[in-house]
Amino acid sequence: MGDYTISELMVVCLAREIWDGARVLQGLYSPLPMIACLLAKNFHAPNMVYFNTADTIDPQPKEVPFSTAGPALQERAVAYIPLWQTFDLAQQGKLDLIFLGAAQIDKYGNTNLSVIGPYEKPKVRLPAGAASAHLCAIMDTVIWVPRHNPRVMVEKVDFITGQGYLTGGDAREKAGIPKGGPRKVVTNLCVLDFEPKTKAMRLVSVHPGVTLEEVKENTGFDLVIPENVEETVPPSKEELEFIRTIDPKGVRELEFH
Amino acid sequence: MEEKLLGLQEAVSRYIHDGDVVAVGGVGRNRSPMALVREIIRQGKKNLHIVGREKGMDFDMLIGAGCVSKVSFALVSLEEFGLAMNFRRKAEKGEIELDEHACNSLITAIRAAAMGLPFLPLRGMLGSDVLRVNKGLTEIKCPFTGERLVAVKAIKPDVAIIHAHQADKYGNVRLQGSPFEDILKARAADRTIVTVEEIIDHEEIRSNPHLTSIPYIYVTAVAHVPQGAWPASCDSYYDSDRDHIMEYAKAIKTPEGFQAYMEKYVFSGRK
Repeated sequence: MGDYTISELMVVCLAREIWDGARVLQGLYSPLPMIACLLAKNFHAPNMVYFNTADTIDPQPKEVPFSTAGPALQERAVAYIPLWQTFDLAQQGKLDLIFLGAAQIDKYGNTNLSVIGPYEKPKVRLPAGAASAHLCAIMDTVIWVPRHNPRVMVEKVDFITGQGYLTGGDAREKAGIPKGGPRKVVTNLCVLDFEPKTKAMRLVSVHPGVTLEEVKENTGFDLVIPENVEETVPPSKEELEFIRTIDPKGVRELEFH
Repeated sequence: MEEKLLGLQEAVSRYIHDGDVVAVGGVGRNRSPMALVREIIRQGKKNLHIVGREKGMDFDMLIGAGCVSKVSFALVSLEEFGLAMNFRRKAEKGEIELDEHACNSLITAIRAAAMGLPFLPLRGMLGSDVLRVNKGLTEIKCPFTGERLVAVKAIKPDVAIIHAHQADKYGNVRLQGSPFEDILKARAADRTIVTVEEIIDHEEIRSNPHLTSIPYIYVTAVAHVPQGAWPASCDSYYDSDRDHIMEYAKAIKTPEGFQAYMEKYVFSGRK
């Protein structure tokens, strides 16, 4: 890999999912999405609307905070919008994208943030999924995975906290949630999307320095591998400079310790 | 208007009872009512049903101290400092009842209570196992359009506990930063206890009524507790104390470590 960290590459990959004009929500404990939103707004998506868990829109912090609901996300914001009003927008179909995490994610993009093992007698009780169970049903999501390994990338999640494409194909339509779904999965090894018909997870690009074999070995199910798998485009000099200026204390490294 | 200034100890002993449903203000480690949490623990309140969307040290500490029998939540985590281990231990042993929500189903449950309604409809959640396991959520059909929606049962707090920036002695409260659901919680609850960084003059409230976030009609007691959110943040007053939260995160790895922490920071009377 070049002179950038995996966190910086992941920030840039997440930012690329934000188009100009998109209304994007960043949640709690979401350091990479927070920096990605600010990066996108300062580069290719100046008209994106940045909603966050500090209840503000379009803040311009000098430095990103460690807590992604922290006071710095109020600096130079346009207004306070309590999260419940942002959810009102989502229910109207007026929120375009949210970034969500996962303790487990399966081949159809379902995510688990609730329990490892049976629900009533779990082996591990996890923190739960925050907005996932609500928003994954009605809007587009991008999932980020800082540790791509077979314990995280599993054939089937123990519990569906956040809805992906459920059992694949037209399962979302049948479940009454025709809109939205996971667009992309950005991991520390690669970028993935979903095959349009089966809705099975498909490789898009492999990060520089990572082999296809490594991706396969670290995934607990068979990925759809297209003929041409590209190499993920690294961050530009300008993007890196922006990330390092807005995050001098290394908030982007929090999930990699 | 009735004067509502009370000491922290008296506010808690008078207005929080064993078995209460308690809505807890703030989000993550921001504007959490930590002084109130510590006082509830010192007074040994029992069987509380605590309610909050994305919570951290406040929930973990109440649970670890044995004050809680039920938790309504969408997330309990110490963010970058890891799992809330008291929550995890008691949940895995089945010692607390879990009412797992999504952020918006929990907020909707509070909104329903604030509106005086038994439930509200929500769009979303279909296909999630959270809908399957949560007894306060059920699929319904819109009587007008036939759309598949989710009915969210109201969660009616007996009491809301909130840390805010300023209030006058009558309980007119100003939130100067991120409001979170704190205003809704005050409107939904039968009683609301607010700790504040500063007590301000009533005339200041009268001069700028547009700055009043929670009017006195929703407020039961006000306690003047500067640093009352510590080690959580309070917007323009102070940021969260990461070193201290890291100390807490390390302590809670074992029940003994948690006990030692509590002796040092809660029962010794500090903060």
